[in-house]
Amino acid sequence: MKRNNLLTWVLAGAVMLGLVAASAAPGTADEPKLRGKKIKGVYIPHNYFRAKWHKIHFKPWIDKATNEQCLLCHKEILTHKPRKKSPAGWKADSVLAWYQTLDTYEGPQMTFHARHLTSKFAKQVMNLKCTFCHQGNDPRDEAPNTHANNQGATGFTLRKMVDPEKTCLRCHGKFPYEYMEGLEGDWSKIRQDFESEDTPNGCLVCHAETYRTVRHQVTYLKPKNIEKLAKKSSDVCYGCHGGRKWYRISYPYPRHPWPGMKDVVPETPEWAKNRPTESEKRYRRK
Amino acid sequence: MAKKLDKEQVREALKRKVRQTYEPVKPKVQLGFIHNNVDCIGCRACEMACKDKNGLPPGPRFRRVQYIEGGTFPKVYAYKVNMSCNHCAEPACLPACPTGAIWKREDNGVVDIDSTLCIGCRKCEAACPFGAPQYIPELNIVSKCNMCIDELEAGRKPYCVMACMMRVLDIGPIDQIDKGAYKTTAYSDADKQNIVRQVKNMANPELTNPSIRFVAHEQGKVK
Repeated sequence: MKRNNLLTWVLAGAVMLGLVAASAAPGTADEPKLRGKKIKGVYIPHNYFRAKWHKIHFKPWIDKATNEQCLLCHKEILTHKPRKKSPAGWKADSVLAWYQTLDTYEGPQMTFHARHLTSKFAKQVMNLKCTFCHQGNDPRDEAPNTHANNQGATGFTLRKMVDPEKTCLRCHGKFPYEYMEGLEGDWSKIRQDFESEDTPNGCLVCHAETYRTVRHQVTYLKPKNIEKLAKKSSDVCYGCHGGRKWYRISYPYPRHPWPGMKDVVPETPEWAKNRPTESEKRYRRK
Repeated sequence: MAKKLDKEQVREALKRKVRQTYEPVKPKVQLGFIHNNVDCIGCRACEMACKDKNGLPPGPRFRRVQYIEGGTFPKVYAYKVNMSCNHCAEPACLPACPTGAIWKREDNGVVDIDSTLCIGCRKCEAACPFGAPQYIPELNIVSKCNMCIDELEAGRKPYCVMACMMRVLDIGPIDQIDKGAYKTTAYSDADKQNIVRQVKNMANPELTNPSIRFVAHEQGKVK
């Protein structure tokens, strides 16, 4: 009986060793391709756990990851589509949310990934990468700063792979009218006072020459295109400055000095006193 | 006799977009959760009761017990943060929803969802700072906690609260919880000075003003 047991253990051990060897052996996957093009310098995941724990998911390596590298495994981002009909029969092409009534919105309902990366307007004004939002992760822990390897700025919050305050809030915050002298309410309520046929974009009444004329000089936006499109409609500006507000606060943008700033605003206002005067290093344009 | 509709004219009218704005609902009473991070033993009975009640497949979890462990010997620590939907005062999921599947109740402030109206665009999931909306891949829809609204309407408490064997999770009017005036087993008299709206590593509560309070662990306090 004892002998049989021993034999079983030996056999089981041999099988386990075989499995481990098989999973650790180099894979036979072809050169990785995305949309038919070969991707160079990309790690080929041989098994799920190796891929999951690959250093590309952690800081600081995640900051250098390319979209192609991410999409090699996370392919579903490209193919996932919303339903054409909700389970109760609500047709996706017959609905529009309040923020989808902005002039800049067009096209069918999309997932948030597609809307941020592949929609026409997103391509015109933004240059987002996967790592703009996904700045870190830790499959082991649900919170940052709990063990030696996830100390400091980890780029994620409790049970959320994105820190919304540092990413989403930049374009989904509220319109900070209380900081702007002479404005009495949200742009949606006061825009008619500033807009006419000659000035289709009321924002430019003040922001063409007087206030904050150095703006959007970051790598995740396309500043020239924004300025060009903004001449036609204030929704180009308002979209990201209150028109799609998910959150009840606004992003504390760095306060870049602009030509003639001292003449218009001799003293830094209270709300801007602790703000930086240039963008974070990772987003600065060279 | 009713005027016959010109179909072309109707189609044109539908294409024309009327600009709309969004105003958050201000409920009469705002219900919220209170969780004692220190006394919670992390048994996940609340999670299981929730999954059972909502018939959830493996994967999506409306309620999530998060184990926070860390430190260096001899100063090590462990505590639990327990969150579902925080039924925020100004939820981010609600304005992001294109179909109106999410709404806030005026009577008790519960952020409710009708998943039969969901088209699975997952915008609410991205917008929520706390990871509350849960994607159900089998159906390509999103669903989330509605504080067991059917139980509330029947005068009972949600399944998660009823399942908590340590009695560290409870619901109540958030303004009374803030004052320590709400009678609950989730906090003791001594804990009343220790009730916080944010614990370490949690997203900024200023984003949406979530209706949840914690009795924080010493290492989980935001300094």
